[in-house]
Amino acid sequence: MTKLGNALAIAALAAAGVGVAACGSSSSGGGSGSTGGKTGGSITIGSVLPDSYDPVLVQTVQGNQPLQLVYTGLLTYKHAPGTAGNELVPALAEALPTISADRKTYTFKLRPGLKYSDGSSVVASDFEHTIKRLLYLGGPFSSFSTVIEGAEAYQTAKKASGDISGITSDDKTGQITVKLTQPDSKFLFAMALVSAAPTPAATSPFKATSNGSIVGAGPYKISVQNPTRQFTLTKNASFDVPTIPKPKLDTIKVVKETVPKMTQDVINNKLDFMTEDPAGDDLPLVKAKYATRFRMDPNPPNTYWFFLNESVKPFDKKQAREAVNYAIDSRALQRIFGGRLQPTCNFLPPGYAGNGYVKIDPCPYGDPNGPGDLAKARALVDKSGYKGMSVTVWGNTKDPRPAIVDYLRDTLNQIGFKAKTKVLDQQVYFSTIGLKKTQAQVGFTDWFSDFPHPADFFEPNLSKKALASSPTFNFEFKSNPVVDQGLTKLNPQDPQSVADEWAKLDRAVIEDANVAVYGNELSTTFMSERMDFQNCNGVSPVYKNDWLQFCLK
Amino acid sequence: MATEPATELTFGDPGLLAAEDRRDRVAGLGPWRLALRRLRRNRVALAFGGLFVLIVVICLAAPLYADHVAHTDAFKNHLTDTIVINGQTRNVVAPDGVPIGPTYHGRFFLGADGNGRDIAVRLLYGGRTSLLVGVSAALGTILLSILVGTLAGYFRGWPDTLLSRALDILWAFPPLLLGLALGTALALGGLKVGPITIQGDSLLIPILIIAIVQVPYMARPLRGQVLALREKEFVEAARAQGASPLQIMFSEILPNLASTIVVFFPLMVANAILLEAALSFLGAGVRPPNPSWGTILGDGIQRIVTAPHQTIVPGLMLVLTVLSLNVFGDGVRDAFDPRAKVRLEH
Repeated sequence: MTKLGNALAIAALAAAGVGVAACGSSSSGGGSGSTGGKTGGSITIGSVLPDSYDPVLVQTVQGNQPLQLVYTGLLTYKHAPGTAGNELVPALAEALPTISADRKTYTFKLRPGLKYSDGSSVVASDFEHTIKRLLYLGGPFSSFSTVIEGAEAYQTAKKASGDISGITSDDKTGQITVKLTQPDSKFLFAMALVSAAPTPAATSPFKATSNGSIVGAGPYKISVQNPTRQFTLTKNASFDVPTIPKPKLDTIKVVKETVPKMTQDVINNKLDFMTEDPAGDDLPLVKAKYATRFRMDPNPPNTYWFFLNESVKPFDKKQAREAVNYAIDSRALQRIFGGRLQPTCNFLPPGYAGNGYVKIDPCPYGDPNGPGDLAKARALVDKSGYKGMSVTVWGNTKDPRPAIVDYLRDTLNQIGFKAKTKVLDQQVYFSTIGLKKTQAQVGFTDWFSDFPHPADFFEPNLSKKALASSPTFNFEFKSNPVVDQGLTKLNPQDPQSVADEWAKLDRAVIEDANVAVYGNELSTTFMSERMDFQNCNGVSPVYKNDWLQFCLK
Repeated sequence: MATEPATELTFGDPGLLAAEDRRDRVAGLGPWRLALRRLRRNRVALAFGGLFVLIVVICLAAPLYADHVAHTDAFKNHLTDTIVINGQTRNVVAPDGVPIGPTYHGRFFLGADGNGRDIAVRLLYGGRTSLLVGVSAALGTILLSILVGTLAGYFRGWPDTLLSRALDILWAFPPLLLGLALGTALALGGLKVGPITIQGDSLLIPILIIAIVQVPYMARPLRGQVLALREKEFVEAARAQGASPLQIMFSEILPNLASTIVVFFPLMVANAILLEAALSFLGAGVRPPNPSWGTILGDGIQRIVTAPHQTIVPGLMLVLTVLSLNVFGDGVRDAFDPRAKVRLEH
């Protein structure tokens, strides 16, 4: 094991991340720095709220944004503005890990004297407990941890008290050793996720929690007043990790509101920030009148697509899946997004240029900026033998998603299916369609980059491995063998060095019509006049907005 | 908090009533003909009744308008279509997502919504849905109320205690809140009762919910009337002749409830339409993409600045419908018993 080797490997990964984000810099210009702004004060944020308050079960951007401030991992992403936010830095670990020559053994050492927000000590064995919880509860990011020796056996045994042979820890020295079954270039990125952050073994039960009762060692502590209405983040006075800046805000209150209401409240300075994007009328209004506190960014890199459940009719047949791909008119969806959608034919977003993204041109289903080919789509539906079949299009209540699913319903009706929609609340949507028993045939989904590695897009959404999680993000409920083989081959290697290979996976997914991709969204940041928008907007390639960087004027 | 809806009977001086009857030359006329005669004299009520009929006819004509004038249906998206208005080609929905406003031509007379759907067409189809839900829910409420009110009022004792407490429990929840809770809960899995399964997106769900939450408002006054009727001589006479309770309820009690039910019906329909609109607006009533005035209002609220007509027009239709039903309902009440003050109070 050499420190230099480790440093080089990690630097390469971090550089890959920087490269990714550099390609996806702000569309509206203007850098951001976290040097300004005052310390102290409280803000209120409007949100659709997290899908879960349990760190191993959270999956949405709205959940990740607050929980990453509560649950800090051994590593984290640098809390710095702009593309620097892709850099991996040690957090609860005192340094980046030492990595063995075969790149299968990682050794971390905890900082001495670390405390959770309830005053209890952070010990090395808490890490194993967290990974066990993640695997036992089948958290949405659990597939990233199955590369650890003994993890799959632990998950299969379904015995909470079992052991993961690949993790050894010493509470006295704070040393944690993790052995992988094979080298995995995304392992460290996954260790910086909320789902891998140590939580106290004594108070983190092997069952899902919904009230924020699990404490963390992050810069804030959470108090959930009502899981479906409101929660508050309060500065953790005992937090002292040198690589993470001290929070500027004392408290952050987060309340559930509808998108139009939260937009109006930010306009009127009743809310200081909204996790969602202004929709409908409000977008052109905000763009025109409040330009000094509004911006659009392609960060985090993202892709929007319709999932096609290959385990149920009619999308078990390739012709039916291809028909949807041919029929989609991204220009129509662009209008629903209020012009914030950039049509694409790739599964990987353009932010991954040099890191796996190579524009698929020509697109097998026609120009993504052009109209859909309804005639060809109809012919394919005819050929599939599923003409006239009933199809339910699933979506959620968050604007403009009801309009998106209605567009797909109309399109499916035009190509020969009998489609209707089912719209669920945003908070329960993904956990519902991610259950196999739901048998959701087709519907809305999207993916925002969790870390700058192409496997982040392929593994949770399309791999066989992801199907071990329940709920899963692999709403196709089947995996493409090309993807599974590609992940096995490419995961151990630095993604930049095998970028062309990742691009081939991208093409395979599109050509096999596993998904119906239609675009990449420009995300928005809109703040009240109280906020120091220029210096503390917190636009991040990982968190969308890093609330730790928020500050008042 | 709900207050007791009441059938308040005011008994006037018999001499005055007789004088009124003489003046109206109503001696010998049956109560139904008498009521009709009184209703015909109430021009305001008739005018509003006519307005309601007009609204119904317009809504029933929705397919004709959609096929022959607007050339679309209530569900078709026209996101990338263009239309020619006064020689100018215009996007139905602009690339930045702003839909076309009222054209005052056959196509997109009231403009388009965010999905490029013709608002005028959706408004008419939405009216059909709202009226269907309103009338069906009111009928459901009446049936349930008759059942509950008659059983509780006739048998008294423990059936009365049981049913009245059940009504009290229902009454303890504001109808909108209860409707929201039920609508949200049933949206995903639908309703399964024995062999009967109702899908979550079925119109039967809002109909059932509205019918149930309104029951206390009608069952209580009916129960009060039955309590009074069961002590009347004609009921005692029927009982003395050996009639069973079921026979008494059907042949003696129910006919005497008819006027109250007729008076209640238009008011219940109006209330049901309002409740449906509120539930649909909040996403717990009619499921998208089915149009109803409530869902159209909900869709339009996002564009209230640039396209206020999207909310104003369905709102206006609601106001006109509910107003016409209420004024007509008041007229019916006055016609059936000008001395009674049967009213719905929430």
